[in-house]
Amino acid sequence: MEAAIEKYLALKLGVPSVKVSHLLRIPGGASRETWMFKAVWNDEEERHAEEFVLRLDPPASLVESEREHEYAFYRAFEGHPEIPVPRMRWLETGPEHMGAPFFIMDRIPNCESSPRTILEPFWAEARPMLARRKYEILGRIARFDWRGSTIESVIAPPALDACWKRELDYWEDMIDRHEISPQPISRAAIRWLRANPPPPAERISVVHGDYRTGNFLYRTDGIHGIVDWEMAHLGDPLEDLAWSFMEAWEWARDGKKGGIIDVEDAIAAWEHTSGMTVDRDALRWWDVLMGVKGQALWLTGAHSFADGRSSELILAMTAYWLNNFQDEILLRSMGRSA
Amino acid sequence: MRPPIPHTLQVVAGTLATQVLPEARTPFGQQAVGLAAQLCVLISQEFDRAVARLVEENGAVVALFARATDVVPAGELRDRLAAAAATPVPGPDLRVSALQVVNDDLRRMLIDLHAAVEQLATPEARALDAAIWDELRASTQRRHLMQG
Repeated sequence: MEAAIEKYLALKLGVPSVKVSHLLRIPGGASRETWMFKAVWNDEEERHAEEFVLRLDPPASLVESEREHEYAFYRAFEGHPEIPVPRMRWLETGPEHMGAPFFIMDRIPNCESSPRTILEPFWAEARPMLARRKYEILGRIARFDWRGSTIESVIAPPALDACWKRELDYWEDMIDRHEISPQPISRAAIRWLRANPPPPAERISVVHGDYRTGNFLYRTDGIHGIVDWEMAHLGDPLEDLAWSFMEAWEWARDGKKGGIIDVEDAIAAWEHTSGMTVDRDALRWWDVLMGVKGQALWLTGAHSFADGRSSELILAMTAYWLNNFQDEILLRSMGRSA
Repeated sequence: MRPPIPHTLQVVAGTLATQVLPEARTPFGQQAVGLAAQLCVLISQEFDRAVARLVEENGAVVALFARATDVVPAGELRDRLAAAAATPVPGPDLRVSALQVVNDDLRRMLIDLHAAVEQLATPEARALDAAIWDELRASTQRRHLMQG
């Protein structure tokens, strides 16, 4: 893999050769292969040494999305430091260089991303600030004016009153195509969602699609990058809020959302920067849908593993652990737990 | 005699976690070994209980179908429910794969029944709806696994 990256970078940088080292696959990803590496090269004037991250499409994953799509969302936030993202460098949509589509971005150094690390005692002092920042940034994403940005080239905005149905249809179809066994709890949730639709979205916003602890890069002084935009789209901003609140992300199992913040504090931070007020009934609708979405993702991963398209153990784990856990979450979301 | 399979898988999990994991040189390798150990723990539990879980659940769903034949109006769904309720559970084949095929068929029909019952307002239908939710809750308890 080093050789392929070296050849590609030399081509893109217009230099005779590039030396790649410290190539490591970053653990945790269940949807894309993410690799980090160092690259050194000389041009006519000086020696360069930079760190990069490569995101490579795998044969199968939890998510079915286009690499070009994710790249466009990252690019849209260049020049908007209030929504920090890594700088994008190169995108390839064909298999000719690495065997699959990929993009390369700058690596933001010396950051953590693990949802468990932030729970360690070392982070106790910084944790409340990081938690508040997480939702302040999400509020800014909700308020971001995407019109005229790279996002418009890859996705069409839905109507205000169509956001809920588009998402519900999408995730129901995902379950239709990937369930290994019937899902009576998810199907009951879907019937409830269709019978009790939420009001139209207050505005059409950028929706990250996987906004949770684990998908931002942090140091003790703040959040330096929002990553993993592969499920990003335009829609109701309450969707991101509901997804970030999902019980599956309560890493400490203490009721704190994302393991780090009480729900009311999170909503207050989000409302402060988004300029919007959370409709609690609508948020509950999105909470149930996010339970269905979670199940659809776990079923997709389990299906990929079961049919042999992927041998990633994390996808087997979704089948043995997360499918039933997500059903338990759905029962609680619908007020149907014991 | 052979060591019981759940015990063997538990030992494999412990070996992976305590002896192999520290030798893994990269974060991705460590994650893979950790996941393999966790999967062994989960599969060891599932192996031991799979037949009991499926037999119990298939019986519980068939019992709901028998009850539903007095609640659901005459028609194609009621005919299917009656046929399923008349089929002996468990059947002669107790392999997990065979029981799972029956379970899938029954739970697919349970979805149809639940959707139909939601549209009915009679007291019997409301009681059956509550019983279906009881069964769905029980189904998650049957599937619950303990992480190592």
